[in-house]
Amino acid sequence: MFRILKETNIDFIGQRYKAFTFSGILLAIGLFAIVMIILGKGNMGLDFAGGTMLQGNFNQAINVSDLRSAVTGGGFEEASIQKVERFNAPNSFIIRVKETTVGGEKAVDKLMSTILTSFPNNKFNKDSEHTIGPAVGESLRKTTQWAVLISVLGMLVYIWLRFDFRSGVAATVATFHDVIAVMGIFYILDKEVTLLLITALLTLAGYSLTDTVVVYDRIRENLKKFRKKGDFVNTVNRSINEVLSRTIMTSMTVLLVVVVLFLFGGEVLRDFSLAMILGVIVGTYSSVFVASPIVVEWEARSPRRFR
Amino acid sequence: MKGQTWRLAVTGIFIVMAFIGFWNTLRYWTLSGTDRQKMEEIRPGSAQELERKAMRLGLDLQGGLHVVLRVQMEKIEASARVDAVDRAIQVIRNRVDFTGVTEPVILKQGDDRIIVDLPGYTDAAQAENIIGQTAQLEFKLVESMENAGLILKKIDSIVVAAGKTGTESKVATAGAESKVKDSATTRDTSDVFGEMLKGDTGQVADTALSEGETPFTQYLEPFLYSSKNNTPWPGYVIAMRDRGLVERILAMPEVKRVIPEDVQFSWSTRTDIKAAQSVYYLYILKNKVQFLGKNLERIKLGRGQSQEHTVDFRLSGQSSAAFARLTGANIDKPLAIVIDNRVESAPFINSKIRNDGQITMGSSATIKDAQNLEIVLKAGALPAPVEIIEKNVIGPTLGSDSIRKGLISSIVGLIAVFLFVGIYYRLSGLIADIGLLFNIFFLLAIMAGLSATLTMPGIAGIILTIGISVDSNILIFERVREELRSGKTVRASIDAGYNRALLTIIDSHVTTLITAGALFIFGAGPIKGFAVSLFWGVTISLYTAVIITKMIFDIRKGYQSLSI
Repeated sequence: MFRILKETNIDFIGQRYKAFTFSGILLAIGLFAIVMIILGKGNMGLDFAGGTMLQGNFNQAINVSDLRSAVTGGGFEEASIQKVERFNAPNSFIIRVKETTVGGEKAVDKLMSTILTSFPNNKFNKDSEHTIGPAVGESLRKTTQWAVLISVLGMLVYIWLRFDFRSGVAATVATFHDVIAVMGIFYILDKEVTLLLITALLTLAGYSLTDTVVVYDRIRENLKKFRKKGDFVNTVNRSINEVLSRTIMTSMTVLLVVVVLFLFGGEVLRDFSLAMILGVIVGTYSSVFVASPIVVEWEARSPRRFR
Repeated sequence: MKGQTWRLAVTGIFIVMAFIGFWNTLRYWTLSGTDRQKMEEIRPGSAQELERKAMRLGLDLQGGLHVVLRVQMEKIEASARVDAVDRAIQVIRNRVDFTGVTEPVILKQGDDRIIVDLPGYTDAAQAENIIGQTAQLEFKLVESMENAGLILKKIDSIVVAAGKTGTESKVATAGAESKVKDSATTRDTSDVFGEMLKGDTGQVADTALSEGETPFTQYLEPFLYSSKNNTPWPGYVIAMRDRGLVERILAMPEVKRVIPEDVQFSWSTRTDIKAAQSVYYLYILKNKVQFLGKNLERIKLGRGQSQEHTVDFRLSGQSSAAFARLTGANIDKPLAIVIDNRVESAPFINSKIRNDGQITMGSSATIKDAQNLEIVLKAGALPAPVEIIEKNVIGPTLGSDSIRKGLISSIVGLIAVFLFVGIYYRLSGLIADIGLLFNIFFLLAIMAGLSATLTMPGIAGIILTIGISVDSNILIFERVREELRSGKTVRASIDAGYNRALLTIIDSHVTTLITAGALFIFGAGPIKGFAVSLFWGVTISLYTAVIITKMIFDIRKGYQSLSI
């Protein structure tokens, strides 16, 4: 039988203060990102901020910087230009601007005419355009808030019912930790907050909880078995070690598919899969170093038998 | 043993059901162009029916149009607001149905928004015309030439006065096109003239100003004559490039002041070609609504005397009397047919019209224009004006590209997980792989059976399912390994592995299902597709990863060693 790990006996709980420091930094960055987003200073995607996206391709190869100077010269100073690798359209670009109209003219039309006049000998073919008014963004923000709230509450209640209140809180904290950490990393990378990113965050919330639940299940089982011998901390440590190879294996399979998605899924899913990759890594870390240590700390402060 | 028979039977039933669910989609996807033709020959409409039953590709995969409309509640009375959105959806659905777009998605979002997805439809302008029109059909009389002449004279003098100031400052400062524009006192008009000087009409404007002629009316070439007595009516030809200029003049506050309250300037609905250039028509109408078009019945396309397209209609009982009175009193005068405040045409009334009427379309109107008008009239008027706040046109090239990427990542992801599990757990891993294949098969079958729409995020959901699905088997196998290490027999280890992992697996699935559920209920657009495939994928994996794989283990239960 293949085995990634022989039986391990690592003192995970003993490392908890280091982990708490590390997580604290992650959380600080993430919370800063969230505050910036609430203040409207985050890099909000077109979904939320409103704006125009134009995708198309040139007949001949073109220099990105030439295109950039043409577009910024056309009055779109904050345009983001992205080269896209596509199979049947080699010189493809996505141009995003945070305006829907420019001086009474539609931003798309203005962009098109700017590009067409700047490169008269190299035809630009429009593949798709996408315009979202800020009002849409506003309502999206609202429904998204509900989706996040409902799913987080649902998970909290479920864990509470299946385990106990403490575990429920700890698991929820760990889940929030993962979501916030990934948001922080995305903020640092200056990635846009889009609808797909929110989807990825919720999915990874569900996934990270899965990971945590497996560890909790084992702790509960071992507590029944070893209630009389050994203390709480040892039982938790032992449980984490027992499920460690499982934790690594399941994370590996999910990591495998999201990496594939990142590499082959195309532009549309790139940020989504990046968020999932980060989420799986952080989620695996947090199920070991955050979720269980919180229960341990709680237990140390007000001892009560883990149900 | 009895349990085993049951599970086999249930699985068998599932497989048959999956094939049935998949059947239409499979047939549709493997249908070639000639097959399709043959099908249509044998039984017309059968190919379309099959298309409807098959799994649909989302907008992002096959291209199409995504429009978000906002119903402008503030523009209607409070009492009409209650079901305005629902009524608007009904009207839009009717209109879209008339166009023949298959499987449109028309949904209410929030309090005042409507999402319209038209897969395979990429003509944004046409779609805007069809779904965006309020289709308030009104009949209005055209203002008399004397009154119109007076108004135009006043406008001319205002424009000339404003132009003079503009010219004076121009004379004062040499070569001062920009200075003219900066002239603070006559900002509006000098802007207008600044523009004029730059444009093609610059020459004309210049001379016109210096000679003190009438710079406004010179853009208005009258065309609306009554052939009977050769009287002109205020309908004018405006070159397309001058439309902006004329609009700006009409928007000048001084000009607005001299236009009487009962008179309105109205543009034609579309451009026409006159003397090899594109032109608009501008009409001066009495803005009193003479007759509302909501009493029209039996609307159908027709042809006029000079073969131009017409939309014919019939009037019902009471309304026909009113229409007869209106037309009887205005014989030999033009009657403007106004849709959403733009003039469709202004034909002359030849005789009293009692029952059957005709809307003549301009000579430039295509059959498509006539059909559009027919559609919006048939489907009725929107209860409130709508505005298009989001528009997403996706070209088919983007679609085929996305399909390819989705397919590649699905296959690569599947192979990667397949190999990983197969190598790590050997024969048992292969059993998990079989479970995984069943999972994908059932998932596609359910989505096909529900006629769900496959989108790019949906494909992402399927791929993620591949990753999560084998998680259950990993949980089980790791457990089995532990049991084996503790010295249990193969048989006991497998049973214990499955039993003990089951609760954990259910726990982990429920948490993912909660997320998928929340995403489905509250998510919009792409998120929904993702939620659907994730939800079903995870649900099905409970069956395939736990029950099907256990079944395979049980079939080979005589074995004494386990390859894990």
